[in-house]
Amino acid sequence: MSMTEPHDRTSITRVDTAFGTFDVAASDIVSFPAGVPGFEECRRFVLLSSAALAPLQCLQSVEGPSVSFLVIDPRRVQADYRCVLSDMDRRRLTATDDALLWLAVVTVEAEQTTVNLRAPVVIDSRHMVGYQLMPAGSLYPLRFPVPGIA
Amino acid sequence: VLVFTRRRNESIVVADGIEIRVLRVTKDAVRLGVTAPADIPVHRQEVYEQIRDENRRAAQPRLPIAALLSHMKGPGSPG
Repeated sequence: MSMTEPHDRTSITRVDTAFGTFDVAASDIVSFPAGVPGFEECRRFVLLSSAALAPLQCLQSVEGPSVSFLVIDPRRVQADYRCVLSDMDRRRLTATDDALLWLAVVTVEAEQTTVNLRAPVVIDSRHMVGYQLMPAGSLYPLRFPVPGIA
Repeated sequence: VLVFTRRRNESIVVADGIEIRVLRVTKDAVRLGVTAPADIPVHRQEVYEQIRDENRRAAQPRLPIAALLSHMKGPGSPG
């Protein structure tokens, strides 16, 4: 595949996912300049929504190995969820707060579903840039059990 | 391993744009300030490893979506 021009917002990338094949516009692709821990080679993702999946969404890589994470708004899990951005985070996520999209990664296993409230993914929807944050001293659990997300 | 002696407010430069500065030294802890470009991940090692391992558990290259949704919406999952 040829390199996508950084300013060509109309080019289309075909993405194969567990729910089928999607055509994704370049303007929908979120770049993760530092990758995601464990998947540093994946630096471009797209956030897929579908009614069947709600309130979950799927954060799907469009570069490198086909990696996808189920994600959810952490406030749906803990209504008062609040994380403070560090100075470094602020330099990397420069949009105003209302343009920051917070997502918590969901781990589904046979016995239990948990949500990672410790290390949220934050997307600057203005600049389409995302990072998984690792706040120092966060008291939120890495594996917050959820009996059912519906 | 490269070994350096640094005093407070002295730093080490790694490649272009990465600077690690000693801010404070106490008996058994060193406070460091790291300046790095936005595409360089900088993390505490043990926190990084926890989150990396959790991401690996969470990554679902091929999700059995139907089974998953019935599981998630099913009543009385153990928790």
